[in-house]
Parts: sequence; C-alpha cells; structure tokens
Amino acid sequence: MRRLIFFIVGALASWSALAQAQPADAPDISDKAALCSACHGAAGVPTIANVPVLWGQTEGYIYLQLKDLKNNVRASPLMNGIAAGMSRDDMFAYAKYFAAKPWPNLNQPAAQSEVARVALVANSSIGCTGCHLANFQGNSSIPRLAGQKQSYLLASMEAFRSRTRANNPGMSDLMNAASPEDLTALAAYLAGL
Amino acid sequence: MRLALLAGTCSLALALAAQPASSQEIKNATKFGNMATVSQDMLSRAAGDSSNFLTSNGDYAQQRYYPNRQINTTNVSKLRPAWIFQTEVKESLETSPIVVNGVMYVTTSFSHVYALNARTGEELWHYAHKMGPITTYCCGPNNRGVAVSGDKVFVATLDSKLVALDAKTGATAWSIQIADPELGYSETMAPVVAKGKVLIGTNGGEYGIRGFIKAFDVADGKLLWTFDTAPDNSVGVWATTDATGRDLHRDIAAEKAQLAKSGDPYKTLGGGVWQPPAIDLAANKIYFVVGNPSPDLDGSLRPGDNLYTDSLVSLDLDTGKYSCHFQYIAHDVWDLDAVSPPVLVNVKNAGGNMVPGILHAGKTGHVYVHDRKDCSLIRFSEAMVPQENMWVLPTKDGARMLPGANGGVEWSPMAVSPTLGLTYALNLHQPMTYHVQTSQYPSGKLWLGGAFKVIPSEEQWGNLTAVDYNTGAIRWQVKTPQPMIGGALATAGGLVFAGEGNGLFKAYDSESGSVLWSFQAGAGVNAPPSSYSIEGKQYIVVGAGGNTQLDYKRGNSIIAFTVD
Repeated sequence: MRRLIFFIVGALASWSALAQAQPADAPDISDKAALCSACHGAAGVPTIANVPVLWGQTEGYIYLQLKDLKNNVRASPLMNGIAAGMSRDDMFAYAKYFAAKPWPNLNQPAAQSEVARVALVANSSIGCTGCHLANFQGNSSIPRLAGQKQSYLLASMEAFRSRTRANNPGMSDLMNAASPEDLTALAAYLAGL
Repeated sequence: MRLALLAGTCSLALALAAQPASSQEIKNATKFGNMATVSQDMLSRAAGDSSNFLTSNGDYAQQRYYPNRQINTTNVSKLRPAWIFQTEVKESLETSPIVVNGVMYVTTSFSHVYALNARTGEELWHYAHKMGPITTYCCGPNNRGVAVSGDKVFVATLDSKLVALDAKTGATAWSIQIADPELGYSETMAPVVAKGKVLIGTNGGEYGIRGFIKAFDVADGKLLWTFDTAPDNSVGVWATTDATGRDLHRDIAAEKAQLAKSGDPYKTLGGGVWQPPAIDLAANKIYFVVGNPSPDLDGSLRPGDNLYTDSLVSLDLDTGKYSCHFQYIAHDVWDLDAVSPPVLVNVKNAGGNMVPGILHAGKTGHVYVHDRKDCSLIRFSEAMVPQENMWVLPTKDGARMLPGANGGVEWSPMAVSPTLGLTYALNLHQPMTYHVQTSQYPSGKLWLGGAFKVIPSEEQWGNLTAVDYNTGAIRWQVKTPQPMIGGALATAGGLVFAGEGNGLFKAYDSESGSVLWSFQAGAGVNAPPSSYSIEGKQYIVVGAGGNTQLDYKRGNSIIAFTVD
C-alpha cells in the first residue's frame, strides 16, 4: 500500500509538472496520458481495485467526469487534484485519447444464469439500457458498462445509491429504486459481458 | 453495411446496388422526378397528394391519411416486400420515410440521413452526421425523420444542430447550433417547413432544460423567432384537477410557500417538444404539445402549474406569438405528459356543429378533442388503457398507478380516417411504481426527481384503438402481446397499418379492426409507416429497427411493400 501511495504521489507530481509546461515544450497528450497508466493500467487494464477501465470508454463521458472531478462535483481526492489544473481543451484531449483506445479484455467470467436473470429483471424494471443502449455499450456522454471492472461497477452503483457519488442525481434515484442484491447481480453480469 | 434488396431482380443488380453512391447514380435517380422543387404549394396540398409523402405525418394536419386506394381491403393479403434497404445503423429506428418524386429520405439513430430510390431501394446518398463529443438525450439516440422544402432536406441532430442538406447530393448547405447539448438539449424530432420557416422544438425535459420551439429561415438557418415553452411566469391558475376533472392532490399551500422562497422555476422547468406542430395555414397558426416539467417526479422544487408543460399550445406561424393553450395536467409529477403529435380535423362540438378541431392522444390513455379557435376541450375519449389509483402522489418507496409513465399513448403519431370519423392510437399497458427523491438541479445531468419502476411481475401488453372523435367512444380495439410504440398510417383503401415490438407489421381493416395481413420483419417495427406511388404503383414503407425505450429487438431495415 505504501509503495502504491508513493507511486501515485509521484505520478501526480509528474502530471503537475507536465501540466504546467510551456507550450514550446508541451508534451504530447500520449506522454501526459502515460501517467494515468499508474492506476488505469499501461494496457488499459486497471492495476488497482475500484479503478475503472478508461481505454475505449465513451468520449463525452470521460470529459464530463473530468469536469466534475475538476469542480469537485464528483469526490475523489486523488483525481480531484489531478483534474484541478486541466483546461476544457485538456479534458477533451484526454477524453478523445482514451476513447480511441481499444477496450481491454479483463477476462472476467460471465455471470452464472441465476445472477444474469436477476440482473436482466433489474434492467427491465429500471431501464438501464434506455440510456446505456443495447448490450450496455454506452455512447457519447453515457458510459460503456459491458466488461467494466466488477469491483468498480459495484462500488460506483453503491456510491450512487448512498449519494456519496453526487454527480448524477438521476443515477442515484435509479440505484435507489433497485435493491442491493440487484446491484450485486448487475455488477457481475455487466463485468462478464 | 448497406444493402439494397431489389425485388425480383438478379444478383447483378444486387451487386450494383451495393456499390457506394456516386454522382452518376444520383443523376440517374432523377428520372423519377425533380428533387429540386418541393414548393410551398406541394406542401400545402400534401393531404391530397397520392404520389408523395411530404411531411413526417403526411401533411400539415398530421392526419397520416394517405389518399391512394390502390392497396385496399380486397388485395392487401397480396402485399409483398418490394425491397429491403439495410442502413449502417442497427439501433432504435423511429423514422417516418418522406417521399418526393420517387426519392425517399429516411433517418436512423445517431442522426444519419439516407436518400433512396423509392422504386428500388438503391442508395443515392448517405449523410453520416459528425456528432459532437457531448450528447445528452432521453429514451434512445432516435431520429424521427426529415423535412423537405425547395432543394433542401432538413434534419435535426442529437447534438442539437439543425442541418440543411442538398437534396440531390446530401452535401451540407448550412448547419446551425440550436442549443447546448452539455445542458441537456438534444433533437430527435422531425422538423417541419412552412412559409419559408423550419420549425423545430427540443428534447431535454429529463435534464432541466428550458424548452422551446423555434423557427429558422430555410435559406440560411437564421433564427426568426423563439417561443419558450416555460414562460417567465409559469405559475398559472393553481389548477387542482386534470383535464377530465380528477383531483391532482396538489398541496397548493406548500407550493405557494415554495414559490415565495425560490421564485418562478421557469429557467430549468423542462417542457420539451417531441413532435412537430400541426399547421393551419388558413388561420396562420401552429398547434403543438409540450412535454413534462423537470424534474419529472419531484414537484417540490417547481411550484405552480408549470406552464406550458403537459399542454396543447397554439402560436402565430409568422411571429411565434402565443395564441391559446390548454393544459392537461398541471404540476405533473408522473411524466404522463403530452407527446403524440396533434392532428387537425373537423369535429362535432358540444352543440353538434362541425368545427375545426384538434385531436391529441395523451399518455393518460385518452384522446382529447379540442376546438381549434381557442384550444378549449370539447370532449375526451373513453380510456384506452386501464387507469388505476389516479392521481396518487409518488412516494419514496413507490406508489403504483396506471398508466405507467410510458403511457397510454407515447410519442406514436395517430392516424385518422376522416371518412369514418375515427382516429387510431397505439397504446401501452406497462404497470409501474412512481418513486420521488429530491435533488437540486444538476446542470444538464439526468434529473428525474425519483424513478419510474416497471413492476416485473405484472403483465404488459398493448392495443390499437379506434376512437370515434365525434363522440369519444371506442369503436374497436385490438390487443397486442407487447406495449405498442411507433405510429399508425390510415389509407383511403380502408386500411390501418401499425407495427409491434415482436417484429410483426400488420394491416387492419380500418372500419372493424380485423387483421387482414401481417409480415414478420425480424426486428421491432416501432416506426410510423408511410405510403407513396411511383409509375402507377402504390407502396407502403416502414422502418424495422426496434426501440431503445422499450428494449425491442434492434435491426436496421427499411422495408417497402407493394401488391404484386
């Protein structure tokens, strides 16, 4: 854990230095984004529990999350600090960069049939695919959920439900209309898609 | 993948049809007509045009009554696919095909536009909209069709732009930003053009927008006027009952206290406009309906009647100035709003005299009949779906009420048979519980103020209902195994066409409701059908691409039928 903290603090310091670089020696976005791999993974596979897949995520969604992290609308002490210095152009550049990457295979198992059944009933009841679209692929400002990291999915849905993640009250309302068992099943089902 | 299937032709023709569009192909297509002359006169006379289908709902009255009777009750059993065109987009398909002199314009999810040879299904051009990085929309990335005028085709896009395309090539003539998608604005409706103006509303009632309808100049996209569907004073008359006289259970004292504390909520009050207005050219007026207030289920932050949400509204076509309105549900907290396009037709008033009227099918399950001169309500129909526990207020743990929040009649346009005095409505029965939660305006994010929750253990179904609009009585009703969404087409051949989520596309006897023909399209038929004629042959055309909102099987087909 201590090693991880050192790594993250180091990455944050490096990012700040890069972010403050003058235009003449401004690093390419891929150089900047390389620092994100400390947590989000060099090949797009997150290295830490509860950290989401960014590779292949939808562009508009990444931008909106960075904006909310910058404005402290979404709470994450580490990411709030990283996003604090980003301009709107920076945020769109990161969003475009990561959205263009291929979605990684996390090799998460497909949900067992009973778990899948519970998840699909929950979807038909609260209408997840009304926004996340067919096969939970997302689009634009709506995130892809299929194949996302299971621990992150569950933590996110629970955070919406408790409103500790406060940057989308509509999602909080929907997660409150579902049961905790539904959320557990949904996380397993979505991760295995 | 694009593929035009040419009925009764050989594989060589298939191979040629699959080639990318070229200028040569576009030039060849004009032998079926001149694509450059959609005049105001053509649009004004569209109701009697038995060759073309010129607006998304057939004509300015939006009757969706096609005057050609070549396909009729005696031969509809021989209706066969003439061609099938596969779009590149396999996602929810709600397009109303437009046909101009042998050229068909269809749209898909994500705001694509295709021009097709309406006789063969051959692609003439394809406009793939370069979508901005931010889109914020409810209920699927849908598009319901284009408008045509002069030498241009107009499409409104998910990232809230209005784009004018060259009808011959698909090249962009001009493009303007209607509103900011980051604040929740999007476009799924078909525009309509009248007297040199492109009329367009907005989606966003689930995101705290301030709704509007706008008029732009067809020549260059210059804004001509804006009507805010949430006026500066949205309070209204503190109505305590709905259009049918039932108690809305409002706590007026609490609302007045909130109004004194927070002021008028108009800036984030919602009021989207999902479907195009009907246009009375003689009176120079437009008639449209306004959707739900924001947030959908939580009225505590938006005191007052929330004008003009859940209302029929009429404006002056030239100026956009208010003419009259009628609110169906004041201070709606169920999202049982007004979304199906209004229809202009002559109706019997309370005194038994025929007067210019307006029909609107509500998510409540009623067809409302209005007097066109002042928007007043003449009558409402029998309920087309079960109504239970109305208007119980939403609770934290959920209150069951029927209809569920999808209706009744959703955005699906009705069709009318003026000769029979009947209007045909697609209905849903989808039981739900209504849950309320309070949260502050989230700046363009989803803002429902709670949740609608389908009750998984309860049966869902739909129906096609024929209502006598001169009495309000249901003439006939046909139950379907799934909730219906998509729209209807009536024809002078005594037919009504409508599709289902299970892929069935059916022709009904317009007088009796008997099913005379059906076709399995392989994906949900959840789009309004159109009809047209080329070289003396009548066609029926419909999209089969399923539906996001009801999660019906997706596809990518435009299917044209004719009688062989």
